[in-house]
Amino acid sequence: MYDLRVTVESVAGFCDLPMKPGDYFEVRGSALVLPEGGHICIWALQSLMPFLPAKQRVTNDPNDWIPRTTRLVCPDPKGGVVYRVERIGERAEKGPSHAVAEEATPRVRLVTDPSKCTKCRACELACSAAHGGTYSPDLSRIRIHSDEETCTDTPTVCHQCGTAPCVRACPVGALTRSPETGGLVLDRETCISCGACAKACPFGAIRMESSGMPLVCDLCGGSPACVKRCPTGAVMAVPMGNL
Amino acid sequence: MYAYCGKILVADLEKKAFHTEPLEDNTALRFIGGRGMNVARLFADERRHIDPLSPESRFYIGVGPLNGTSFPGAARVNFTARSPQTGILGDSNTGGDFGPELKFAGYDQVILHGRSEKPCYLLLTDDGAEFRDASHLKGLDTIRTQAAIKKELGDTRVQVAAIGPASENGVLFSGIFCTGVRAAARTGMGRVLASKNVKAIAVRGRGGVKVARPQTFEAKIEHFIQAIKDHDEFPVRRRLGTTKLVSALNGLGCLSTRHFQQGTFEHTDSVSGEALEAQAKIKSRGCFSCTIPCSRVYKISGDFGTVTGEGPEFEGLAGFSSRIGCGSLSFSLRSCDLCNRLGLDVISTSEVISFSQELFQRGMLTSSEADGLDLSWGNEKSVMELIGKISRREGFGDILADGVRSAAQKLGRGQELAMHVKGLEIFQADPRGIKAYALGLAVASRGGDHLRSEPWFEFSGNAKEGLRRYGNPDSAFRLKTGGKGRVVKDFEERCALTDCLNACKNTIVNMEILDFESSADLLRDATGLEFDGEGLRTAAERIVNMERVYLQELGISRADDTLPERFRKEPMPGDNPTSGSVVELDTMLDEYYDARGWDKTTGLPTLKTLERLGIQTAR
Repeated sequence: MYDLRVTVESVAGFCDLPMKPGDYFEVRGSALVLPEGGHICIWALQSLMPFLPAKQRVTNDPNDWIPRTTRLVCPDPKGGVVYRVERIGERAEKGPSHAVAEEATPRVRLVTDPSKCTKCRACELACSAAHGGTYSPDLSRIRIHSDEETCTDTPTVCHQCGTAPCVRACPVGALTRSPETGGLVLDRETCISCGACAKACPFGAIRMESSGMPLVCDLCGGSPACVKRCPTGAVMAVPMGNL
Repeated sequence: MYAYCGKILVADLEKKAFHTEPLEDNTALRFIGGRGMNVARLFADERRHIDPLSPESRFYIGVGPLNGTSFPGAARVNFTARSPQTGILGDSNTGGDFGPELKFAGYDQVILHGRSEKPCYLLLTDDGAEFRDASHLKGLDTIRTQAAIKKELGDTRVQVAAIGPASENGVLFSGIFCTGVRAAARTGMGRVLASKNVKAIAVRGRGGVKVARPQTFEAKIEHFIQAIKDHDEFPVRRRLGTTKLVSALNGLGCLSTRHFQQGTFEHTDSVSGEALEAQAKIKSRGCFSCTIPCSRVYKISGDFGTVTGEGPEFEGLAGFSSRIGCGSLSFSLRSCDLCNRLGLDVISTSEVISFSQELFQRGMLTSSEADGLDLSWGNEKSVMELIGKISRREGFGDILADGVRSAAQKLGRGQELAMHVKGLEIFQADPRGIKAYALGLAVASRGGDHLRSEPWFEFSGNAKEGLRRYGNPDSAFRLKTGGKGRVVKDFEERCALTDCLNACKNTIVNMEILDFESSADLLRDATGLEFDGEGLRTAAERIVNMERVYLQELGISRADDTLPERFRKEPMPGDNPTSGSVVELDTMLDEYYDARGWDKTTGLPTLKTLERLGIQTAR
């Protein structure tokens, strides 16, 4: 994760605190550090606050807008105080870092549209058939969750996260990205079936099959079977950066 | 075995025990799956004529070789037993996810017998059957029952087939519902489950379906999916499903209106599939593995509040609009939703209600006999109350709750107005405007039912093809009778095949995506067994004949292959494309029996026919 420096870049209006151009503070790890004698307006801070941890994350996801966003403005419309947020250094993380270094950039991402999903689950069959030759929804990486009381259908898919928590969570480096397709690849020889990847996935998109191996989405070599079979276009493979 | 699971589960509800039996290759080749395997087992059972509501009766759940594969629409499951409603063959099937899940759990067929001492539900998994207490589910509607069981088991992927309060209260035309509102509601199969004290059957499979030649099989699937998408009917079926029929039949002058007194309904534009799409549709839904999402989620408001639901099919939509003389879309949707939740068959329910309305109109039934209800056409309040009364078997509802044939008997009047064949109420199309369907209704093995033959060909207008297929160009025209015996024979077999593959008739029969040859071709890749087209045709014929012999044993013959008097004697009134038409049944029946190899005087299979099909009748 990154440390940050937040500097007042300009004051377009009138700030009576006052915050002056050049005033700054730093975020080091989870600590907010002010230079000696410095101060920060709490109204500006509360609007900056949610953004700071997000900006601290390491990500190489081309669809992630946060690395490209550097300026935030104080919410007081009369103030017009512009804050610039910069990354000033990467700090070492606890836990394995070997996998992260090898992680290539995903090329496409599965995007779903629940309003088009007909819950036919053809995707589940296509996925299991493409990965093991058997029609078995239990072995599918994509899953449709339907609720008959509300009549809603929600596809759960691997989001091919730019910085994938599952890859980082794996204690033995069994999960990597294919350099060709950017899809996740599981090294079945190395995997110790600990389930850490499934626990780490923020979308609940990884499940453990009965053999103990996690079911991870490898994007079928770049042309996902679920996308091809979906009758309504509810599952799409969208190139990164095109969202 | 490939495609098949090779296993049949037999559960004894009284002893709370189960065992499994192997499925033999020969059974698969002779009876294919679902309906065929169920009927074969029913036929072979010496208790086949027993009171279906007695503990000893057998209840069969069957799926086919394509269930669980990627074949589009192979989602269906057959529930079979002797019908408590009609006294003859009971057989009803539905789509959704239940059938495929049975395959994933490893069963081609499940047979239930006995009666559970306490209300129970069955949980079927790869490991077998578990008998679980269902006392707390008593009286719960079909959708809530499904949700409650999923919640209780902590698994949203469990598939549940449930009965509603109507079945528990003893309504004979009550069904089994899975995946929300997917109904197997004809012939009272829900009532049979209730009699066994079974509230629901839950299934969760962790396994899969393996086919013999996965690559060639998948290539064929791709081909069929493309054929569906290229079909002329694809766009409209995807938009409207069967609800397209409301306005289509109205245009032809054969939409059941005010209990078949008219062929057109003046409020059609308010209650059509198009109106539903424009006013209430939220999104499309489909059955497991299907390319055509012909079902839909809708949301509609009325003075009753707001209803979000799924469906209905044409039968429900027209049943609670034109048939009962009510021009309100929201009322029709609300009624269908209520019937689904209570576990009632929408066709039979709308028949018993519209039957009462016609009696009322003719002064043959008074308000005081009907619990003070005003049974005028389109009276929403009365219809709504009647649905509830039927489901509770309360007051006048109790008279209607055994079906229209029985209602007429109990009232001692209106037999000639009871729109049923062999005790099963007929659907929302007027037989006078669709002669092959009329014949199909008259001879169907589960009573007055259109899905035993679904002879769409008579709408085609393709005289040349009619001559080629059925030796008579008239067969391609709905108002003509020539060739219809052969049309119905052919389509009964197409339907039997489809019911054995447990796939959807919309695609296989109406859109003709599969025929016997291509089915055999696909089944060879799926199962590795030596299916051939002629063998499949014979198997379908065998099933139809076996069902007929079963009916014969229960006293059915040519005299029962008839239609309500109105369709045979009263010309269609009004000024529409069906006006003046009646059903000339006898000539069509003669041709049909000839085509079937049945005796024309008795309407029963000849010994020669039975021998050819390998059906043993020692009795």
